[in-house]
Amino acid sequence: MSQMITIQVNGESFTLPAGSSVSNLLASIGSEQESVATVVNDQIVRPDNRASFRLKKGDRVEILIFAGGG
Amino acid sequence: MNPLPEWLSAGHDETRFRAMLSPDSPYTLEQLAGESKAITLRRFGRTMSLYAPLYLSNHCSSGCAYCGFASDRKTPRRRLEQEEIRKELGAMKRLGISDVLLLTGERTKAADFDYLRTSVATAAADMQRVTVEAFPMSVSEYRDLAEAGCTGITIYQETYDPLRYAELHRWGPKKDFRERLETPSRALEGGIKTVGLGVLLGLADPQEDALMLYRHLRYLGKTYWRAGLSVSFPRIRPQTGSYEPPFPVSDHLLARMIFAFRIALPDVELVLSTRESPAFRDGMAGIGVTRMSIASRTTVGGYHDAESSDRGQFDVFDDRTAEAFCSALRKKNIEPVFKNWEHAYNGPSHPEAEK
Amino acid sequence: MDSLHIGSYTFSSRLILGTGKFSSPGVMLEAVKASGTQLVTVALRRFNREQPGDDLFTPLTSIPGITLMPNTSGASTAAEAVQAARIARELSGSPFIKVEIHPNPQHLMPDPIETYEASKILAKEGFLVMPYIPADPVLAKRLEEAGCVSVMPLGSAIGSGQGLATAEMLKIIIRESTIPVIVDAGLRSPSEAALAMEMGCDAVLVNSAVAVAGNPPVMAEAFAEAVAAGRKAFAAGIMEKSGIAVATSPLTSFLGTEA
Repeated sequence: MSQMITIQVNGESFTLPAGSSVSNLLASIGSEQESVATVVNDQIVRPDNRASFRLKKGDRVEILIFAGGG
Repeated sequence: MNPLPEWLSAGHDETRFRAMLSPDSPYTLEQLAGESKAITLRRFGRTMSLYAPLYLSNHCSSGCAYCGFASDRKTPRRRLEQEEIRKELGAMKRLGISDVLLLTGERTKAADFDYLRTSVATAAADMQRVTVEAFPMSVSEYRDLAEAGCTGITIYQETYDPLRYAELHRWGPKKDFRERLETPSRALEGGIKTVGLGVLLGLADPQEDALMLYRHLRYLGKTYWRAGLSVSFPRIRPQTGSYEPPFPVSDHLLARMIFAFRIALPDVELVLSTRESPAFRDGMAGIGVTRMSIASRTTVGGYHDAESSDRGQFDVFDDRTAEAFCSALRKKNIEPVFKNWEHAYNGPSHPEAEK
Repeated sequence: MDSLHIGSYTFSSRLILGTGKFSSPGVMLEAVKASGTQLVTVALRRFNREQPGDDLFTPLTSIPGITLMPNTSGASTAAEAVQAARIARELSGSPFIKVEIHPNPQHLMPDPIETYEASKILAKEGFLVMPYIPADPVLAKRLEEAGCVSVMPLGSAIGSGQGLATAEMLKIIIRESTIPVIVDAGLRSPSEAALAMEMGCDAVLVNSAVAVAGNPPVMAEAFAEAVAAGRKAFAAGIMEKSGIAVATSPLTSFLGTEA
């Protein structure tokens, strides 16, 4: 059984298998890769790096989109 | 010949300015005077800033067709030494003057940059405000000059018509039209706080030159937005034995020009020298002109020692004493202002920003 | 063609639209299409799986001719705005950034100091910086000096519909600026947008007035027409209001009669 880790996603707790990549995370929350920005611990993770960027326990992840606003 | 810069050859928002000056102008002189007066009052109050010129030297390396100091003229040449400068300044101070314009001809070995810089430092020790009307300098020379206490420079393009300019400036460094045109920009880059522009009215088509002058001011105002700007209106009056101006400018046209500049550029200082008559100067005070020279001598020195019999750069028309002129201003309910500056601000304008 | 040039971009429309406050993303997209705008500003928000329609990236970028201009609304410091800008550029691929920093959520007035700091940094990083600012002529020149490609002074507070309350300041900014001046915020009706263009603004940004109109797509069209009319009039040379009065006693009699 693979270990689970707890991270923060958009300010809320989220558990996922240890060793998951940012791409894995996006898939599990059902977001389209192209229209989001991903930031881990204030560091921008670019689309071509998402598959290889492994998440660790306690990481703070922000997943951002463009929405309506002035 | 190099093409003119875009800011000079292309006009933007100048419809009104042109209309005010056009021979078929819809505006009468009286209408323009009224508007000019209202703006002058709002912006400048009931004051007249006063200064006096001090010719440091009449050495010159150029051959301007219209100037008494051209290098082929027989005028005896001399320059003031620093001690003489101090004496002249002392005499000027006793007349109440604390704002001095130092003048030289085009660059010569006798009156070169170092001489000018030293003279500025001498004057800055005694005068609240020191400005210079000399020769085009480099950015670093202007920086040195600013550090020595020079807060403003005046440089007249004479005419913005390159062909006329070439005809009139027959030899010497002043032949370079483009260098002269870019001088105010270099001065402001170097930290000089204010620049004074002008054309010598009479040399070329006054309508065209006024328009180019307006464009030059708009360009400088937008590009060097911290700069102080002023415009002078030197006018060649036809005189026997002197250069005959091919485009003489009448009193009416000169007045109209001054009003047009005041209305189109409400914040720019407008300057009249003692070339103009007492009647004209008194008339224009309070309705457009905000700065005038007084008690002028246009020979080298002349304040301390008795005025020499040599011809000056131009003949002074308004030769009233400082007292008499101030009295005339006060009769018009205008206060003469001798000191409009604090010595402590005489350093270069803002240190070089991190670029 | 009297096109708007910002940085190396050319726009034929001088109307820029904001995307907030619409009743639905669908209505907003209809308004964008109806207006003919080519520059649209969007905010960064957290992804929410419950509201997938919030994501405007795909719908907006599939409208032909649209360039995205992300804004930093939500940031209240220069550091937050800079971070938001970098994230936004990753996502949009657009070099445009509207630096929008309003720490007070009531009046939403822009913070001039944080805006200046952020703009300076972002300009050095190669962004096409469009700062949203109070209508302050000196601040506008400082931002121009710092490398911004335009300035966006407010007409009045965001959403206030107070129109061109800052008109006199705007006139000074327009006269002194060598970069495009874009009035942003406070415009309530198309006539105000036309007036801004007649004054010499290079473009206007409208959001609330379109979003909360009874019929946003039609209102967006009306704004587009007003902006075009105002610009046309400005280029054609508008008649001067006569401010020139005649003095009661003649001022120029000292000159004698004309020679």
